Parts: sequence; C-alpha cells; structure tokens
Amino acid sequence: MADSTPLTVSPAPHVGGLISSARLNWSLALSLLPASAWGVFLFGFPALQVLAVAAATALVADAAASLAWGRAVLRDGSAAVTGLLIGMLMPPAVPLYVPAAASAFGIIVVKQSFGGLGRNWMNPALGGVVFALFSWADAATRWLPARGTPAGTAAAPLAALRSALAGGAQPTGGVLSALGARGYPWSSLDGRVVSWVNVHVLSAVGLSLPGGVFDLLVGNIPGRIGDVSVPLLMLGAAFLLARRVIRWQVPVAYLASFLVAAQVFGGLPMGRGWFAGAALFQLFCGSVVLGAFFMATDPVTSPLTRGGRVAYGICLGLLTFLLRYFGTPGFGVPLAILLGNCISPLLDKIARPRAASPRKAVVQ
Amino acid sequence: MLVGLCPAAAVTGRVIDALWMSLGMAFVLILTSLSRVILHLLLDAPGSAGSGSRESGLLGSRWLGVLFLAACFTASFEVIMGAFAPQESAALGIYVPLLAVNCIVLERLADGSPRRAIQENGARIFRALGAAASRGAAFAVALVLISVVRETLGSGTITLFPLGAFGGTIVVSGISAAPARALLFAGGGFLCLGYLAGLVRLAGRLRNRRPRAAGEAGAQ
Amino acid sequence: MSFLGIILTFSLVDNVVLTRLLGICPCVGAPGGMRATASTAAATGLLMSVSALAAWALETYVLLPLGLDFLKTPAFVLAVACIAGLLDLAARRAVPQLLRAAGVPVAAVAFNCATLGVVLIAAKGGFTALQSLVVGLSAGAGFFIALTVLTAIREKLDVEQVPEWLRGLPLHLISAGLLAYAFLAFDRAFLSRIFQGW
Repeated sequence: MADSTPLTVSPAPHVGGLISSARLNWSLALSLLPASAWGVFLFGFPALQVLAVAAATALVADAAASLAWGRAVLRDGSAAVTGLLIGMLMPPAVPLYVPAAASAFGIIVVKQSFGGLGRNWMNPALGGVVFALFSWADAATRWLPARGTPAGTAAAPLAALRSALAGGAQPTGGVLSALGARGYPWSSLDGRVVSWVNVHVLSAVGLSLPGGVFDLLVGNIPGRIGDVSVPLLMLGAAFLLARRVIRWQVPVAYLASFLVAAQVFGGLPMGRGWFAGAALFQLFCGSVVLGAFFMATDPVTSPLTRGGRVAYGICLGLLTFLLRYFGTPGFGVPLAILLGNCISPLLDKIARPRAASPRKAVVQ
Repeated sequence: MLVGLCPAAAVTGRVIDALWMSLGMAFVLILTSLSRVILHLLLDAPGSAGSGSRESGLLGSRWLGVLFLAACFTASFEVIMGAFAPQESAALGIYVPLLAVNCIVLERLADGSPRRAIQENGARIFRALGAAASRGAAFAVALVLISVVRETLGSGTITLFPLGAFGGTIVVSGISAAPARALLFAGGGFLCLGYLAGLVRLAGRLRNRRPRAAGEAGAQ
Repeated sequence: MSFLGIILTFSLVDNVVLTRLLGICPCVGAPGGMRATASTAAATGLLMSVSALAAWALETYVLLPLGLDFLKTPAFVLAVACIAGLLDLAARRAVPQLLRAAGVPVAAVAFNCATLGVVLIAAKGGFTALQSLVVGLSAGAGFFIALTVLTAIREKLDVEQVPEWLRGLPLHLISAGLLAYAFLAFDRAFLSRIFQGW
C-alpha cells in the first residue's frame, strides 16, 4: 500500500511559539518542587518513595513506548512532570505498585497510544491516577498522620467531615468546630498557635478562631503528598503565571466558580441553609488548587480558544463542587478534570464552529 | 468485524461468560446462516448468483426476515441456556438476546466479501456452514482472549466450567492478592477491544510484509 | 424510582454506551461529522423511547399473560423493526432534506444494539408505561451525550499523527474506554447522595 499518511495540518495544541516544550516542562517541575518537598517533609520516606517510583516508571514507560513505536525519545521532561504529578496525587502510604501502575497506564495508554506529546486528549497523570485508585480502592485512603498528631488517627479532613455529617448531627458552628467536636486530631502546634492568636489578638475584637485554622493554612493535614500545602502550591502557580507558562483564564474561572458554588450551595446538604457553605475550607482541603493551576491548565487537554477556556474553567468548578459533595470521596477533582478533558474538544467546536474545520485541513 | 463484538465485550469479565457467549453466537450464526441459504435456495429463481446482494435498505424485507430468524434462534438458545446454566444466564442478562443483532452485523459484513458463485446446492450449504463456523470461531477466539486478560488482571482468577473435582476457578497467585479491578469496569472492556483491534491490524500488516520480502528475495 | 432518578440513572449512571457498551457501532463505524451524529442520535433517542413504551405494552398485555415471556426477543425485535420502519416513513415525509444532509438512512442506523438493549432493560425493570417512555428518552439522551463527545474527540484525533496500527477504530475504542473511566464519576452512590442531600 502506498504511503497514504495524510499531510496533517494540526490546529496546533502545542504551546505558543514563545516557549519551547522543554522550558515549559522544567518550569512546571520547578514550580511543583516546593509542594512536593513539603509532602516529603510531612510524611517522610514513604512519600519520597512514592514520588520516586512514579517519576521513574513514567520515564521508563515513555522511553520504552517511544522506542517501540519508532519515535525519538524526548528529552523534554514531559514524562518526568507527569510522573511527579502522579506521585503528588497519591496518598503517602500506598503500596508502590499503585503509582507504578498509574504512571505506566497514564504514559502508555493515555499519552503514547495517541501519538505522544501534544496529541492526547486526556490528561495522562489524571487518567493514570483514576485508573490506579479505582483498581486498588483501599489504596485511595492510605493516609499518614500530620506532624504533631498521634499516629494511627489519620483521616483526610474532607472524608472526616463527610462522616461527621453522615452521623446526622447538626453542626452548630463552622465546619472546623464540627470536626473538632468529633475529635479530629489537630496538631499540638496548631493548638498553641490558635490559642495564642485568640488570646492576644482576637479577644480584643471579640472573635475567636476554631482549632485547626493554622494546620489547614500551613498544610499540616493528612492528604495526598502534593496537595496539602496550598501556600506552596500558590507560590509555584505564581511562578508559572509570571513566566507566562500557564494562562490565567482556566484557573481563575475554575476557582471562582467552585468557590461561589461551594459557598452558595455548600451549606444545603449539611442543613445549614443557603450561602453558608465553607468555601475556604473546601479550598484548602483536597486537590482543588493543585488541579486548577497545574492540571486544568495543561494546554494539550484544555480548549484552544479563550472563550472555550473560560467555559471549561466554569464547567470544571461546577463539576468539582458536585462531585466533591455527592461523588466518591477523594475523587472530586480528578474525575471533574477528566470529564472536562472529555468535553474540551466539544467546547472548542462550539467556540469556533466552522473556521478551520480540522477535517478539511487534511491534505490527502 | 470487531465492531460486532462491542456488546459481547461487556460480558468478558469472566472467561466462562465469554465461553457461553461464544457458544451462543456460534449456535445462532450457524443456524441463521443455514436458514438463509436454504430459504434462498427454496425461494429464489435458480441460477441467481450470490445471496443477499438484493436488498432494499437495511430494513428490506429480506434482512428483516433474517433478523427475525436470528431472534428466534437466540430465543431458543436463551431457553436452552436457562435450563442448563441458570446462574450464567442471569449473569449475562440482556446480552444473550443481543446476540441476534450481533449476528446480523456479522452476516452483513460477511456478505460484503466477494465469493465465486457455486451452482451446486449442497456445496452452497456446506460453504455457508463453513463460513458461519469460521466467523463463530473468530468471535470466540477474540472474546476469550479479551476475557482472559480482563479476568486475570482484573480479579486474579480464571473461571471455567466446573468439571468433576475441579471447582471451576483457577486462582492466579500473585495477582489475586491485589488485582487491578478497574479493568473489570466498562472502560476496561473498551480498552481491551481497542488494543485487540490494533493488534489484529498490526498482525495483518506484518503478514503482508513477509511475502513481499520473500518475493523480493526471490527476484534477486 | 422517581422520574429524576430514572433520568439521571439512564443518561449518566447507566449510560447505554459507556456503561453497557452498547451502540458503539454508529459512533465508531460511520465517519460522519457532527451533523450526522446529531441526527443519528436524535433518531435513535426517539426510536428508543417509542420502542420502550411498545415493549412495555407487549410485555404487560401480551407476553406475560400468555406465559410467552421466552418469546420476548423475537417479539421485541419485530416491534422495534416496525417502529423503525414507521419512523423512517415519517422522516421521509416530514424532513427529507435532513435525510439528504445526513446521507444515511436514519432509521437503519438507529436500529442497533443500543435500541434493543434499552428495550430489554426497560422491559426487565418493571416500570410503568410512562416510566418506560422516560427510560427510553433518558437512554437516548445518554446516547446523544456519548456520541457527541466521542465524535468531537474523533475529529480531533483525525488530524493527529497517531501510531499507524492504532489509527481509526482502535483509537476510537480506546477513547471510548477512557471516556467510560471518566464517567465513573456518576455512579449509584452519587445518585443516592444527591437524593439524600436534598
């Protein structure tokens, strides 16, 4: 059969010409380092193992797939970033075959089967993580306790909140008081800091902070390796935004719609009425910040048009709200972004219906 | 051809389900093929070449009749299976009746392939039987392959017919401690089907390359 | 089951294509664009709803009273075929230009594994007449969602340089698989929590 590979004029989901792929990926890796270092600091050697296994498997799988399918092995660090993200999305005490399988699946099935860098429509890290954590469901909750809390009591705040509310008791105060009332183990440092602030600063104004605010803000809570420390993630995100590696439309739309939905509707399932959801609590727990800045902004899997991106962000925010409140615990952000990936080609079609229809551009 | 597998791939969670589906498919395929040929011989003018080349759209009465026949044979297989293996029948649920539609898809695809005209009635019947049997066999191989992969990696077992002392389930040690259950979901079925389709194409391509290489070697 | 429950179950949780693996044939086989997809899905949805109702009627008034439940496969097949034929006739009279644009005999494409599958599921579930209709409509809506998303993905894939052995059908199936994994977001627990929460 004659070589009939059509000359493809791709609508270029490649990052705009100013930034090379390598620079993009190394910037991403750099911006993720503070948060992952914090995760290792918090959870110790197991976390480091998970990160290392995930990254190594991703690199090996990428090289193997590239060689097997006759493509040049890319040295642009995209596999390393995927591996790092997969590791950061894992609970720290998972058995090591889980991140390995996640990396292998993500790289081979989600990315390389579609042609490698730039051609996949689903985020490889999230695809791998969802596959692995659904495969080994008990691994999804292998938390480790935070620093300064007694061992053997680890439970992620979101999950603890859900079980606290499932008890049916009406929380009288905020979510943190509800958690505290159920004996959620905040760290001793948190206890000291919060009581100091309450006594010396806020008593003058008549307010008082519930226990746990410090832990939550700093990121000293059980959670996935890379998503516990929101300040460090924000630092990395600011770095990426400053270098123009990611665009602001998607994360801003995502976070704004999520926070609004959480604040307006979040109190309803808990029986606390409208506009009474704990939006900030939701922001600091779970992978929302990690997802919004580092995974939803992936230029390969998000829409190309500006309008499409804003719509994408809003969809993601609303989906995350829905899935976090009603879906499988711990999978809110990953599944929401995956669903967003699925509709992103559709959003592109809606945003620019006839211009440069890709099928017409194929020269036979 | 592989498109016809899609619904059946939904029940490849266990090898035994795949085996029963293949059995059912072969049953329906052979009987339907046979009936088609016999009806064609009885009803059509002698000397007309090919069978099924005349149809007025998918819902032409000819194909409708074949579909109805396939549905009847499927219903009989359902009854037989319900009698011999009620749990399996319940496990397979709605997918056994869907064999009728699968069968039609495969028959239509098979009609597309060119054949030389055979005038002998008996030979026609044998050819139809052989073709149906080979389609059924290909279906079975594909289905069993997918189910072996999915069940081994997805639950660490291989479930077969119980025979005497053999309970019917082989446990694959090592994987069964922590199987990748996501493969048992619908997505796993699609993925296995997709990769199987790709591998079939790859195999075909490799096979095409070899005679050409042999031809070049012979020409030198 | 409440109507909202039925709608959510059959369009999202138990999606005909993505959970039951039915009806993928028109998604991956026919190389139509978005317009062909939309017309196929609309026709299939209509066929599904009317057939579900017809199947309910058949099951309740003919098959069960006469003890002929084992004949349901041929009976449903006949019923769906008749309805598909009627739909085809109606479409030819009412919107011939749509058929020309789509380029396929709409009724022919609509009658596939998905339709019969939905009919069987509806007949099994012990629904009332109106509920069966809603089941068919919701399944059609789910079919439409899956078909549209897959077509958009397919059109994006068509212009990419994918591995040759995976080009076309294999990658469409793999994409359907990944989409099915994403749809794991909608499961029965999700549904029950929505109804509890309010």
